[in-house]
Amino acid sequence: MKRTTSTFTLLLIGIINCLVLSSQSLTATDIIKKADENFNGEKSSIVTMSMTIIRPTWQRTVEFKSWSLGKEYSLTLITAPAKDAGQTFLKRLNEMWDWNPAINRLIKLPPSMMSQGWMGSDYTNDDILKESSVVKDYTHENTGEETIAGRECYKIKLIPKKDAVVVWGHQIRWVDKKDFLVMKTELYDEDGVLVRTEAGSDIKTMDGRVIQTKIELVPTDEPGNKTVLVIMDVKFNAPLKESFFSQQNMKNLR
Amino acid sequence: MKNYKMAWRNLWRNRRRTIITAASVFFAIFFALLMRSLQLGSYDHMFRNIIESYTGYIQIQQEDFWDNKIIDNVFEFTPALEKAVLSDENAKAVVPRIESFALASVGSLTKGVLVMGIDPEKENLLSGLRGKLVKYRLTIEAISNIKKSELPDKIKNELDQLKDKSFSGDEPLRVELGIKEKDANIMLAPFVKYATFKNNYLIESEKGVLIGDRLSKYLKLNTGDTLVLISQGYHATTAAAKFRVCGVVKLPSPEIDNMIIYMPYDVCQEFYNAPGKITSLAISVRKNSNKSIEAMISRLQTRLKPPLRIIGWREMNQLLLSQMDADNKSGMIIIGILYLVIAFGIFGTVLMMTAERRREFGVLVAIGMQKTKLGAVISIEMLYIGILGILSGIAVALPAILIGYYHPIRITGAAARIYEDYGMEPVMKFMPVDTYFLWQALIVAIIILIAIIYPLNKILRLNTASSLKA
Repeated sequence: MKRTTSTFTLLLIGIINCLVLSSQSLTATDIIKKADENFNGEKSSIVTMSMTIIRPTWQRTVEFKSWSLGKEYSLTLITAPAKDAGQTFLKRLNEMWDWNPAINRLIKLPPSMMSQGWMGSDYTNDDILKESSVVKDYTHENTGEETIAGRECYKIKLIPKKDAVVVWGHQIRWVDKKDFLVMKTELYDEDGVLVRTEAGSDIKTMDGRVIQTKIELVPTDEPGNKTVLVIMDVKFNAPLKESFFSQQNMKNLR
Repeated sequence: MKNYKMAWRNLWRNRRRTIITAASVFFAIFFALLMRSLQLGSYDHMFRNIIESYTGYIQIQQEDFWDNKIIDNVFEFTPALEKAVLSDENAKAVVPRIESFALASVGSLTKGVLVMGIDPEKENLLSGLRGKLVKYRLTIEAISNIKKSELPDKIKNELDQLKDKSFSGDEPLRVELGIKEKDANIMLAPFVKYATFKNNYLIESEKGVLIGDRLSKYLKLNTGDTLVLISQGYHATTAAAKFRVCGVVKLPSPEIDNMIIYMPYDVCQEFYNAPGKITSLAISVRKNSNKSIEAMISRLQTRLKPPLRIIGWREMNQLLLSQMDADNKSGMIIIGILYLVIAFGIFGTVLMMTAERRREFGVLVAIGMQKTKLGAVISIEMLYIGILGILSGIAVALPAILIGYYHPIRITGAAARIYEDYGMEPVMKFMPVDTYFLWQALIVAIIILIAIIYPLNKILRLNTASSLKA
């Protein structure tokens, strides 16, 4: 009897120990999951953004409003500059359409255009369309801790799973310990060469959530090129239905 | 008696032999000239086509544009720049252009096209664009109507082969149908009535476009139809707009004809969101010889500063130039073979002549003629024959070449399509008198000089006794 008790106690202690330990140090997967939920956790969102495309000899700013439901559906309306305003982009699952009021045409983006920059930026159409899940499609490995922009961060290496449809060889993410914000991401190709760097800054509370409102994307192989996204306004959990994301609605958005 | 007089008389002692030898020289010169003229003429014609309808002799561009033809590589077209270029002694006019690519879409048809923003009037001065507007188009309907009218059966039969063909004037249509100039008025009347194609030229600031004849057929576009152009504008803006087709142009180069869309340059600037900017400034020149073009390029180079760059037609047409160079080499090999055949022909007759006259030489030497004098007479004879052949060859080839130059051979029917598939205009044109005449004459003269060596050698080593027994 005594022996049984002691075994049971040992087991209990072990379990408790485990729980305590895990609450103290999260696994790498948990960290990535929390960080992902931070921005993508809500069901739907309406975001107003500006995107500045910086090139060695010029720069240009596009403003747009974007409605999205989960990762599957989104609708984007360009609001500025005047020449581009009124253009809309619809994403439904793996397909993307473009509506241009100047020519009254709905164009489904062909595979050949997938590697081209969206609105001339460093974001390719593929980036927008094939947003893979950083939680499900990768294995995660905690590789240490570093301080980025004055915040202590977990440095986590993400390696894509074998069957995952991912273009990157691997990623390194720096996730802030306090608010679980992704401070910096480095994306590498299959040969382990750094392709681009993304960095978040300007942390603000918007619609009840702490988020970064400025994201900078720097491609490595094109010096002087940069794309800066600034979130001007966010509403989470707006009542959006799947039916909102239709080709009909593309033409009616104002 | 003087050597040359004796040689002349000798020639006509055996008329037939002289004529046969002279004839072989004649044919050598005649064919070589004709082939050369045709080859050089075709290159010249092709270059003129592409230079005059497309690139111009000299262009000014932003320095990166030639290697990377994107709409971001543009430059400001200012009155100061125009003035600076026009102050050059050889500059006739400057023609601004915006050149970029776009997707043209009509209904469910889409095609990548070359968009050219042009100054309608200035461009017309440079490349005569207005004259390239389609005047007649032989649609199936037009052909069936024309067939009902009174025309010779020969022409009616030919009509079926010309289905959907376009003609930018009376002249090409008349030539294609083989109608004589004096009959043109009557014979072309049914074409004017049924096959006339409605066309308007571009008007500055108006949102109309001209499209290539082949492109119009591919996209099934007619005057008055609308097409959509989609592209990326200056600094990655969206360029998308609707345009009305105001006319169709037939360009000689099938490749360009299949992809070109012209629009007024101010409209084009608005479309690509690049007000005041152009991608190239074509310069129309007063003198177009290679020398004056090169001189003009170096003059402009000192006057204009980067990011502007001066680019000559040679650099702009490098691919065509090297293609032509390869073709030219193969042409030269063929001519080389021709010369080889001719050389043996001449040598053969010389050999025979020497053998035939061995006894005569022996007698002459025996009665006291010096061998060197005899050799000189024979040499002069040979030169006479050569000159006779060369001159008669040129005399016959020249009119043929001139006729071919002023009335180029227009290939029709199925053969024409083969030409067009290779991106060439189905025309065989001759090159008028040029330095190549001299070269051919020189080469034949050298062949004759070489041929002289044999009889000279024979004469100088002549054994009088044995030759007398021959």
